[in-house]
Amino acid sequence: MSADRTCIIFYLLSTVSYFIHNGNSQEADHCFSSEFLESLSMSMKITKAGFHRDLLYSVEWGEVDHDVKALLVQKLPSGVYMDEYQLETLKHDTGLEVLLDSKVDLEAPEYLSSGFTALVFLSGKHEATVPVHGRYHRPSNSSQKWVTVEIEPPRLFLRSDQCVLPHHEATEAPCTVRNHSICSWLEILRLEDTGVVSLEIPVGDSSMILSVCVGTVLTAALSCVFLLRSIWRHGTF
Amino acid sequence: MDVRVCGMFSAAVLIRLVLLCVGVYQDQNLQLKYTDVDYHVFTDASRFITQGESPYRRSTFRYTPVLALILTPNVLLTAHFGKLLFCACDLLSGWLLLRLLALRGTSRGSALVCCGLWLLNPLPAGVSTRGNAESVLAVLVLSTLLCLESRRLTAAALLFGLSVHMKIYPLTYALPIALSLAEAPSRERGLVPNLIRLFNRDLLLFAAVSGSVFMALNGTFYCIYGWDFLHEAYLYHLTRRDIRHNFSPYFYMLYLTAEGSGTGSGNWSGSLALVLFVPQMLLVLLSSLAFRSDRPFCCFLHTAVFVSFNKVCTSQYFLWYLCLLPLVVPRLTLGRRRGLELLLLWIVGQALWLSPAYSLEFEGRNSFTLVWMAGLLFLLINSFILGQIICHYRPVEAQQKKID
Repeated sequence: MSADRTCIIFYLLSTVSYFIHNGNSQEADHCFSSEFLESLSMSMKITKAGFHRDLLYSVEWGEVDHDVKALLVQKLPSGVYMDEYQLETLKHDTGLEVLLDSKVDLEAPEYLSSGFTALVFLSGKHEATVPVHGRYHRPSNSSQKWVTVEIEPPRLFLRSDQCVLPHHEATEAPCTVRNHSICSWLEILRLEDTGVVSLEIPVGDSSMILSVCVGTVLTAALSCVFLLRSIWRHGTF
Repeated sequence: MDVRVCGMFSAAVLIRLVLLCVGVYQDQNLQLKYTDVDYHVFTDASRFITQGESPYRRSTFRYTPVLALILTPNVLLTAHFGKLLFCACDLLSGWLLLRLLALRGTSRGSALVCCGLWLLNPLPAGVSTRGNAESVLAVLVLSTLLCLESRRLTAAALLFGLSVHMKIYPLTYALPIALSLAEAPSRERGLVPNLIRLFNRDLLLFAAVSGSVFMALNGTFYCIYGWDFLHEAYLYHLTRRDIRHNFSPYFYMLYLTAEGSGTGSGNWSGSLALVLFVPQMLLVLLSSLAFRSDRPFCCFLHTAVFVSFNKVCTSQYFLWYLCLLPLVVPRLTLGRRRGLELLLLWIVGQALWLSPAYSLEFEGRNSFTLVWMAGLLFLLINSFILGQIICHYRPVEAQQKKID
């Protein structure tokens, strides 16, 4: 008798837990099915050379019946900066949607700046080209002529207007580039690692500091004396 | 009106209109924009003013609020208003140059040729059509000089006060202006009576009016915008140590010594910055004394020296002395061929700097040493050209002026 009761209770519990489990995954399934998540891929490339570069993002996914919006959260080191005014112009011209999390100084050198985060919204389009600029770095005292700035891959977030994400899975972030409201986004982990992207910035040579100072001061002094002499000879006193 | 004058001005208008159209096309269709970043900075600052806020909310707006105020039609009417205004200032500068040259006794023909150096020159036309505000200052400086030549002291003082408010460099003109307004020292009297005679009525009037205009403008804007105004419009320029590459011969030295930690002796970068003022000051002082009888030449020399020995130098700065060059040319005894050779030398000097600078910024090559050497060479070239101009110039004599 007790064995039967135990069996029934066990059976009931497993049925209930089956429904609970299935019910949850059905909700997530309704939003982003596992096939959809499998079809996701993201790539990041850096183009151009010198101090002014472009970060090329591309997010691909398979067929889906509802509107999916993607958000890339890109952490950037102090060695680079983005120009909010340039981004504003690009938003106007090409529809690029990038939101910066803090005021970025456009002129400070690397050692007086801090990293920041850029939010790249990819609604409709699956690609974005974001311009990024290198900062001046400390001159190197070894024979290194360039310094390498590494940019880690961004974190990918998705959301859809058609479904609501369960609270424990969602991350809060602005809904659109206009930053008027906060929405729940789903972070996609386990993506194929695109690896770190790096850019090389030329740096000055600290070992030359003495010759540069002496050379500069001598040339300035020479020019100054030459001009003083000309003025003295040809001026009326 | 003279046919040749009309023709010259029409050509100047045409050049600028063509460049404006090219600019509009290039901005809309090409990746590399024609309009300078500064123009967008002015427009953004004007937008803040129309919204009742401080123009200094726009980062890198380091000018007087007057500029943002006069460009508010950029926001209210058309985005091209500013460029049209700067081109109009270019043409007004040309007219002021003609008037000044006539007052200095230059013949109509050579005056026109000299004016052509400004009106038909691609550099000022390009700078104004790109949206830089240098021509506004050219108008203010030239009209100050014109008023001084025609002895309209109050107007001159007003314009001078306004010019110094807009940019600091015309302050160096205070010395030659003061020396030319003051009475010549008399050998019969002692030192102290001579010093007192220095401050005659004209000089005191000039100082009072220009000082009041300057203080009134600064006081008003300080009341409205506070510390931001003083810092961005003036202090930044005085303490500016831009370590990014530019034409200045000191750029690489300032970059390498930026953190002052060089060889471990802490604060020598601070004393270095002070030392760098010395050539500018010495040259400005001596040239004021030597050429005080010829104000336009003195001002030209001041500005050329100031720009060449400055800690930061971009191509817009060349316009500060280029607008005074047409006043200097008629009294130069350099032949046309020599003049062209010097011009070519100046252009070559710039090209030798631009080439490694381009490969540094856009190709990522480490050409810092080349940029540094090109900067030093450019300083030597500028000094040589200035030396040639000084050697071959016939200044207006003080006696001659008194007779006239």
